[in-house]
Amino acid sequence: MSGALPVARWRNPFVAALVVAVLQTAVIGYMIESRASILRNGKDVLLRSAPIDPRDLLRGDYVTLSYDISRISPDVISGALPEGATKAELFVRLKQQPDGFWGPVEASFSPLAQTTDSIVIRSLPFSYYPSSGAPPSTFYPNYGIERYYVPEGEGRVLENARSAHALSVNVRVDPDGRAQIRQVSVDGAPIYQEPLY
Amino acid sequence: MYRGRMERDLRRWVDLGLLPQSSASAMLAEYDARDSTFSVGRVLLALAALLLSASLLLLVAANWEALPRLARVAGVVVLIWLFHFLAAYFLGRGAKAVGAALLILGTMSFGAGIALVGQMYHLSGDAADAMLLWFAGACLSAAAFASAAVTTIAACLAWAFLVTLFDSGGLVPAIEAYFWLVPVLAVIVLTLVRYTDAARTRHLAYLLCVAWLGALYVDNPEIWLAIAFFAAGLIAFLLASLPRSPLYGLASEAGSAPSFYSFAVAVVGLAALQSEVESAWAEIAVGVGLLAVALAGIGLAGARNGAVRYLAYAVFAAEILYLAFETLGSILGTSGFFLIAGVVVALVAWLVIRVERRLGHVREASQ
Repeated sequence: MSGALPVARWRNPFVAALVVAVLQTAVIGYMIESRASILRNGKDVLLRSAPIDPRDLLRGDYVTLSYDISRISPDVISGALPEGATKAELFVRLKQQPDGFWGPVEASFSPLAQTTDSIVIRSLPFSYYPSSGAPPSTFYPNYGIERYYVPEGEGRVLENARSAHALSVNVRVDPDGRAQIRQVSVDGAPIYQEPLY
Repeated sequence: MYRGRMERDLRRWVDLGLLPQSSASAMLAEYDARDSTFSVGRVLLALAALLLSASLLLLVAANWEALPRLARVAGVVVLIWLFHFLAAYFLGRGAKAVGAALLILGTMSFGAGIALVGQMYHLSGDAADAMLLWFAGACLSAAAFASAAVTTIAACLAWAFLVTLFDSGGLVPAIEAYFWLVPVLAVIVLTLVRYTDAARTRHLAYLLCVAWLGALYVDNPEIWLAIAFFAAGLIAFLLASLPRSPLYGLASEAGSAPSFYSFAVAVVGLAALQSEVESAWAEIAVGVGLLAVALAGIGLAGARNGAVRYLAYAVFAAEILYLAFETLGSILGTSGFFLIAGVVVALVAWLVIRVERRLGHVREASQ
């Protein structure tokens, strides 16, 4: 066929294999370490949650978790709202409540300072539209901790816990505000604990 | 298939005494020796590789607890190394089909690794990122091995990336930064297509661009965007089709595709504009513009480019019928409209026959 560029190809396919395998392994290693580092260094946060179910084609069965912090009321928003439609991130300050669970006390579209008695968690980027009504509507941010993958067929346990409102999730949050699930408990008893690796 | 047709024609020419038998045999032998020649064995090998990959991906998805997760990661990494080095071994010995199948397995194992990490750490909301990473891994392998098969996988992953953007729900292209990445992926695939001789994969990249433009228009059905499509398509078409253009050499190496797809975008832009304008006169003016564009397409590229020529014929016929229906339809009633339609199609047929004959003369004269 025509169209071949006169580029010198790697004569030795083993060099190509080495380069590809090393880089692809490095990518997977980096992905793992970037998550493990959150588990290792992050601060603990306990969240109340409720699961809903389905299945991911590539990654298998999972439970969708929705949290109290997945609803951010406009009352706690501080600072300016973005001006037109844009991709926005929400920074949410969490404080421990008397019942042990953590809840949102402040949220902002610009980074919030860390304090000793609070933790700032950062949402995934989402599409923001200015609302026409005077009070802005409730925000529903995601934090990248909305899925919990379970071995095939084990989703039931968590689903049943949903009806009892007894599900709690321990999350570790790193200084950047990225979160990683560490432990899932039903009625305060841990049923899934996440190892570092 | 092309080979069958060619064999029949060659036999006929040999029978007519136009071609010695030895030349005909040599031509067929040359064709069969080409790398890109379709072979059932090669296709089946690639299919086998895809089936094995699917089983691997499903194994990851099963989240099988009998094996600790670190062992699962190690297994996937071992597969990545194994498949790439086996591919290198077979490619080094000239077994290209086996090498290509192993490279497919290697790239799919990398995807399985990404999925596995996503499962291990319960990642959510990262489907587009994961797809992008997988695409990058595929491109790396395609470039390093100059592999047409992996280029095709990369093209499919670019499509999958576009699909995940819609999958995440509530896609608004204009503010979705990743949306603007799609044409970049298409350009990367096209570069790989040239480098790896994956000729047929080119269409996946062009169609990706067209689908992307379609999504952009669905999101912003504005007159200026339709005009922009038309203008950009026309400019690209002229750049790809005029022998004087600086890009002509590059475009013609890619066959008829660049002219065809840019012409298609120009036509789609005008058709969208026609559906967007309000007044009847504006609609007729745009319609006449479409007819002119169709004729220009035949005049400029029709002689060398069958794909553009047939698209132009189709556009011309459809637009004439549309205009006849819009302007005369209400006066004539249904039976009168079919009368007009019959006359119009006969006229177009006459025109097509004239054009084809003229183009035949042009081709003969230029030889």
